[in-house]
Amino acid sequence: MSIPSNSAPQSGSSKWNRKRKLTDWAIDGFLILFGVMMVLPLLMLVANAFKTPQELVSWPPTFIPNNPTLDNLTAVLNDTPLLLWMFNSFAFATLSTIAILATSAIAGYVLGKFKYRSLNIIFLIILATAIVPFEVYMIPLYFQVQSLGMLNSLWGLLIGYLVMSFGIFLIRQNVIHSVPDELLEAARIDGAGELWIFFFIVVPLLRSALGALAVLAFFQAWTAFAWPLIVATTRESYTIEVGLALFQTGFTVDLGKLSAASAIVLIPSVTLFVLLRKNFVEGVAGTGLKE
Amino acid sequence: MASVEIKNVRKSYGSVDTIHGVSVGVSDGDFVVLVGPSGCGKSTLLRMIAGLEEITGGEILIGDRVINDVEPKHRDIAMVFQNYALYPHMTIAQNMGFSLRLARKSKDEIDQRVKDAARILGLTDYLERFPKQLSGGQRQRVAMGRAIVRNPQVFLFDEPLSNLDAKLRVQMRTELKDLHARLKTTTIYVTHDQIEAMTMADKIVVMRDGVVEQFGEPLELYDRPANRFVAGFIGSPSMNFLDGTVVVRDGKQMFESANHTVLPLPEGLDRAFEGKKLIMGFRPEHLQVSEAPEVFEVTVSVVEPTGAETYFVGNANGDTITGVLRDRIAIASGQSLRLLPRLNAIHLFDAETEQRVN
Repeated sequence: MSIPSNSAPQSGSSKWNRKRKLTDWAIDGFLILFGVMMVLPLLMLVANAFKTPQELVSWPPTFIPNNPTLDNLTAVLNDTPLLLWMFNSFAFATLSTIAILATSAIAGYVLGKFKYRSLNIIFLIILATAIVPFEVYMIPLYFQVQSLGMLNSLWGLLIGYLVMSFGIFLIRQNVIHSVPDELLEAARIDGAGELWIFFFIVVPLLRSALGALAVLAFFQAWTAFAWPLIVATTRESYTIEVGLALFQTGFTVDLGKLSAASAIVLIPSVTLFVLLRKNFVEGVAGTGLKE
Repeated sequence: MASVEIKNVRKSYGSVDTIHGVSVGVSDGDFVVLVGPSGCGKSTLLRMIAGLEEITGGEILIGDRVINDVEPKHRDIAMVFQNYALYPHMTIAQNMGFSLRLARKSKDEIDQRVKDAARILGLTDYLERFPKQLSGGQRQRVAMGRAIVRNPQVFLFDEPLSNLDAKLRVQMRTELKDLHARLKTTTIYVTHDQIEAMTMADKIVVMRDGVVEQFGEPLELYDRPANRFVAGFIGSPSMNFLDGTVVVRDGKQMFESANHTVLPLPEGLDRAFEGKKLIMGFRPEHLQVSEAPEVFEVTVSVVEPTGAETYFVGNANGDTITGVLRDRIAIASGQSLRLLPRLNAIHLFDAETEQRVN
């Protein structure tokens, strides 16, 4: 009598254990599969950069090049001003990030903390602009840049990327959430001026949100294509995205060079993401929950 | 240090009036507590003194200076907030020295004054930590330290203890009172907790719906509440109230409640009260078990022994009566007690105006 009654719960719990382990493995397997699917194109891209033209089109494709060659890299660096394009992109993305951080922090703080009815209307207008696709007002903006004589220059590029309505929204939500009114009031009583409060109380408290926004803003500019394509039309003023597109002409694609150039372009993006990863994850996750 | 004079102050948000002409005089060095239920306007009044809310009408003076249009930073006040409002990215020393740094004091002076305040508050070992590394009570002390270092004319406290647990609250209450005794800085303190008000204040302002119901010393409010609201608000458990009239039985004035409970009244009451509708009030702690002929009988429904005292809730002819007995008598639910209120602690209020009449 006692044997089956004892063994029943045991076998029950071991069954449950086995089931849980199987579920864990299934989840792991699923995640690994998707992880590989996400990373594989990038790894193939890097691998292709070191392949000969024959190997690039051979079937089945190889993952590790049979005859690794640096020809593609040297050709790209010698034949095109790739480094100049990268510098253009880098300068454009950096200045755009700085401008977006500044405008978002100030506008987000004012919209989040100051109670005037007119501010609600302004906030609605800002939200409304987020709905309009950039392509819609790209052409009018182009004519403005043209009349300002800023075509083919960094400043012309920047004009479309100084303000980011999502950034203002993100910072506003963060201000409401993580900057309590009492903190500002305490500072006012302690004798701090409004600018002082902004720079020494509000900005430090928004550090992780601003970090997340910096990553978003930088990559938005780094990967921008349509606007640089119409504003920067000389070979020297191209950004890297426009430059990369040149490898693809109407009739042929120079896969080797394109891969090599793309692989070089990956370096700064990956570096920046690794550096700011902690901020990015905290900032985006922190908008919802905080102690 | 300075006095604070609040003269007929009003506050409106649009067409909604929240404070209707409040006048309170706070003497130099006094500890005054603003107390009342939530929404009574006590915090708004404090924020007007601090300069965080505009004053719609009337005047506020600190010392002999009208400060209606003076910026908060020039009012020479320090405020302690309910949630402490410590700057999370600054150390305790930086938090406490913040206002001095803004006032461009020398580094040595800031260090010295922060250290002095830290010593008074027992925070010396925590100066290099950040607020999130401290407990609630310690954070509260830092908030006070930040106020102390400025050596202001007036301290303002906005429910500073309500985020602490019960035991710590009692301890901090004593510390605050002790601090005030040492610094003698004029203090205005807002709370909704009448026990905090009673234990800490030199004077209490009881507010309701934007009006001052009574302004006086704690025991004055307890012994002679000006109206039914103050009588019910001050004291715990709350005062018992019975609606009824003064009647004459066997040549003696008695009080007969609407449910026909008859209670004795103090002698020498004005004969004009006879037949008039009144509210009688007596505190639970002023009930005593008695065998005198005037006793009234209460059927006990709930007994709450606390060790030192015995609380009970009972019923007399449908009137609910709460009582506190010092003696540890054996009573159980369903039993009846013969009780008598202390005659010199009976309060009578007009049934219509609810103002005190005796």
